[in-house]
Amino acid sequence: MIYYACDIPEDLTYDIERDVWIRFDGDFATLGMTDVAQTRCGKFAALSFRNVGKKVEQGKPLATIESAKWVGPFPAPFACEIVETNEAGFAKDILLANKDPYGIGWLVKVRPSNLEAESSHLVTGEAAAEKYKERIRELKVNCLRCID
Amino acid sequence: MSKKIRLLYMEGVSPLRSQTVYHAVGYAMKADTPNTIIMVSPNGPYVSVGYHQDIQKEVDLEYCEKHNLPVYRREVGGGAVFLDNGQLFTQWIFHKEDLPATLEERFKLYIDPLVATYQELGIPANHRPINDVHVNGKKIGGTGAAQMGIAEVLVGSLMYTFDKKTMSQVLKVPSEKMRDKIFESLEAYMTTMTEQLGSTPDRTTVKDLYMKKVSEALGAEVYEGEWTEEEEAMAQEIDARFVSDEWLYQKGQLKQQGVKIHQDVHIVEAAFKSQGGLIRIIARLREGRIDDVAISGDFTLLPVFALGALEQSLRGVAATPENLKSKIEEAYYRLNIQSPGVTPADFATAIMNAVTPPQPA
Repeated sequence: MIYYACDIPEDLTYDIERDVWIRFDGDFATLGMTDVAQTRCGKFAALSFRNVGKKVEQGKPLATIESAKWVGPFPAPFACEIVETNEAGFAKDILLANKDPYGIGWLVKVRPSNLEAESSHLVTGEAAAEKYKERIRELKVNCLRCID
Repeated sequence: MSKKIRLLYMEGVSPLRSQTVYHAVGYAMKADTPNTIIMVSPNGPYVSVGYHQDIQKEVDLEYCEKHNLPVYRREVGGGAVFLDNGQLFTQWIFHKEDLPATLEERFKLYIDPLVATYQELGIPANHRPINDVHVNGKKIGGTGAAQMGIAEVLVGSLMYTFDKKTMSQVLKVPSEKMRDKIFESLEAYMTTMTEQLGSTPDRTTVKDLYMKKVSEALGAEVYEGEWTEEEEAMAQEIDARFVSDEWLYQKGQLKQQGVKIHQDVHIVEAAFKSQGGLIRIIARLREGRIDDVAISGDFTLLPVFALGALEQSLRGVAATPENLKSKIEEAYYRLNIQSPGVTPADFATAIMNAVTPPQPA
């Protein structure tokens, strides 16, 4: 779905409140910032990841993002262990998430540790699209991507 | 906004506490914590570095140690800055639902009372979007934003004075020439209330005025309150973290190069090895143009006066490879410049290396 220039792919799962997308793959999940989140944050200036192997509670930061005007956490949508970060990608191009938030701009791969108990807030498909429409209207966001 | 806003007024706290206080209120914030504005000034000088900065690369730690200047890393972005009692920090710690969703609108709300305070004091300040406050093209203080726990935080200051000389001393720079350039640029592009008014305004007057302007801008009552035991405990915890080597020396990944003077003005530096020798560049960029440039190195360039003329000819030129090369070629032709092994394209490349540093492979 594209709404106010914000792309919300319906094949992904979302933690809408935290503005995180999730791609499940067996016991693992890849996480990134949604188009809405990267737009609101603005162009990345710096990024620091928590270490691979670290266990992070739901809502706690997996990484800290610094944009030109703001510093804030990239929060865990559920308790998990970090198994991989996209540090190498962002070291080459700090704007990856601003260019391609659902592809090369992914942030971390994790192993969920308590998914059954912490997944009721996650949405996907049409339900996610509808909820995001509401959120985009509420936030009055028009999404923007970086092209270079 | 109809909710009441708690004001914590803390003049003369320790340098460390002047930083940790807003982190503490942010991280201790709960659903029933009032939106809070802290007005705080340190009782001594120090250096504050941005969240992702590598202090060993950015700060002249030897100078700081020699002059008893503590260095603290904040959880707000941006660059290293020298701070002292000449600034009154104005820190907002708000619930996110009480602030606009976009950063642009959020900064506008935050900056409007600062501008209104300056204006009522007789200083023609204006908001320079997104987050600068300017007076006739000069910046008066900086602002930033962050998320801490459930709190959204906005920070900035009311600038009574600013010690530009010490500011230029605390930065780690590759040469004294670059330091001079930073000082010159701070003089040219930063200002303070004292400079604007010819004397320092009374601090109580400024505080009362700012409270009034905040109350008007937010449509909410501002009352002077106390902070809680929980906030104090959180501050002590953060005090301990902020003085730990682990926190202070953590490596950064900041990608933006150079020293930012204000939103549109950066000082950048680079070197380029040409066939005829090393070319060193220190440039001041303003809105994508060369505002000033100093060229040096171990190359030969004749006639001897031509280097200065070349530097002059680049002022105001848009910083693109084509523009620079053609402007330099024009100077070569006009001044009949000879530079064995160094071409106009080499100078253009050296300058562009400063403007946009080459990316690692």
